Amino acid sequence: MELFAEGLRRALALLLAGDPEVLSIAALSLRVAVVATGLACLVGVPIGFLVGTTQFWGRRAAITALNTMLAFPTVVVGVLVWGLLARSGPFGGAGLLYTWWAIVLAEVILAAPIAAALTAAAVQGVDPRVRRTALTLGAGPWLVHWTVAREARFALFGAVVVAFGRVIAEVGAAMIVGGNIRHQTRTLTTAVALSTSQGDFALAIALGLVLLALALTVNVLLHLFQGRGDAGRA
Amino acid sequence: MLGARDLRQRYAGRTVVDVPSLDLEPGTVTALVGPNGSGKSTLLRLLAFVESPAEGTVLLRGRPVQTAAARRAARRDVTLVEQHPLLFAMTVAENLRYALTARRQRDPDAAGRILQALDRVGVADLANRAARQLSAGELQRVALARALLLRPRALLLDEPASAADRGARSALAEVLTALHKEEVTVCLASHQLEDAYRWSSRVLALADGRLAPVTPENLFRVTLPPGGGPRVVRAGPLEFLVVTETSGPATLAISPDDIIVSTAALQSSARNQFAGGVVAVSDDGHGHVRLVVDVGTPLVVRITPAALAELGISLGTRVHLSVKAMAVRVI
Repeated sequence: MELFAEGLRRALALLLAGDPEVLSIAALSLRVAVVATGLACLVGVPIGFLVGTTQFWGRRAAITALNTMLAFPTVVVGVLVWGLLARSGPFGGAGLLYTWWAIVLAEVILAAPIAAALTAAAVQGVDPRVRRTALTLGAGPWLVHWTVAREARFALFGAVVVAFGRVIAEVGAAMIVGGNIRHQTRTLTTAVALSTSQGDFALAIALGLVLLALALTVNVLLHLFQGRGDAGRA
Repeated sequence: MLGARDLRQRYAGRTVVDVPSLDLEPGTVTALVGPNGSGKSTLLRLLAFVESPAEGTVLLRGRPVQTAAARRAARRDVTLVEQHPLLFAMTVAENLRYALTARRQRDPDAAGRILQALDRVGVADLANRAARQLSAGELQRVALARALLLRPRALLLDEPASAADRGARSALAEVLTALHKEEVTVCLASHQLEDAYRWSSRVLALADGRLAPVTPENLFRVTLPPGGGPRVVRAGPLEFLVVTETSGPATLAISPDDIIVSTAALQSSARNQFAGGVVAVSDDGHGHVRLVVDVGTPLVVRITPAALAELGISLGTRVHLSVKAMAVRVI
């Protein structure tokens, strides 16, 4: 218990003092998580929509593949992206390895299947009459999709939250492709791993609490945003 | 206006709709009657272009509608109101506005038009209510108003009175009369024969996805004895052998096309045989002959003019009527 109390004290002290290193680590974590979640949703949500609403050959296989990708070990994705971005790899020339963009890329690969699988489940759960009603009222394909999405908005919102959670808490891939470089690619999770390996458990706990506080803030903001979006509808 | 040719729909290998030919004319109200699961809703969804058939085509203004783009264009002329209609999670007025937006019907007086449509079915006072808080009857009326707002050329109504109270029924009757005057093609599905006859100019029976015309003369109110399979049922002066799995109060319907006319008693597989004199011979308006035969009660039969000439049938001719047990439909 002593350890946790000490961790809490250190966390408060670091935050209240506005420790520039902790703030920059937290800022990077947030930036990576927001960009990666945004990109993952940009890729995953349309795929999920397609899989969830249209009938095509191999649809079941696609759903199984998506669900399997949810269990992708993060270190495997890390190694995969490392292989792609390493100087000898196919995209080595881009010079992205050990930059925050490399972390974003790995996180997008991890989070996009989550966004896709949860979107597919969300739109599959929508009453089939929603689509039919929109169609019979004369809606074009985009308005039909938009109408279905609006009916599934709570579940879709859940997909975004879960994708964000996966990204902000991820450590394995971020460590491998980011390299945990101070002031450049050190995120809260890689910093926690480093502090633990150095024996500074209190700092590790303090950084962990910062991470939780960050996740809480983002989720509260998302909820407020969602609540406002819903206020117009009775 | 709206029609079907060789239209078939299958769900999981089972044929649920099998309609070789159907034509719905402007200004007419056609009723589809049949028990639950007879394919009424599926047929309406096919005619509304919200479902694609497994085989065959739906025709709009005589032209086959086959591609996705053609179906999309066709949906601008046809609107379906489902048995359990869905309103989106907005206010009633917003739901109607959505319909206008969906059809890109920009109208400076949209608000006025919306209120007018709601007023037509007597629910103008619900305009600002949350759609998801309406009762089933209110929901059905608002959904009808939403469909009317779009001024479709063909309106398909699935069990429009299933949740209707008396007010809603009279509002629906008024709407149907007005649509008739506006030359709108209306097709409604109902499992209530009384409703079908009250509201429509033509009644078609649907059983296991197949259509057959019904005339009021060939309908019999009966009480089916308990049990399943073939049963003898008494209907007024007649006795029918019927094959059905249902029991209790029901209506037997015999399509005028399913009755075989002969001048002598037949040795055939038809289990129901009646004899009587021809009391009326007329043209049915579609190139066929309509016979009324008094077999203790009048039965209507449809035959070709060639068959009439060949059998030498005229008023007073004594004929034999044969009906297969399977052709006696239970509604």
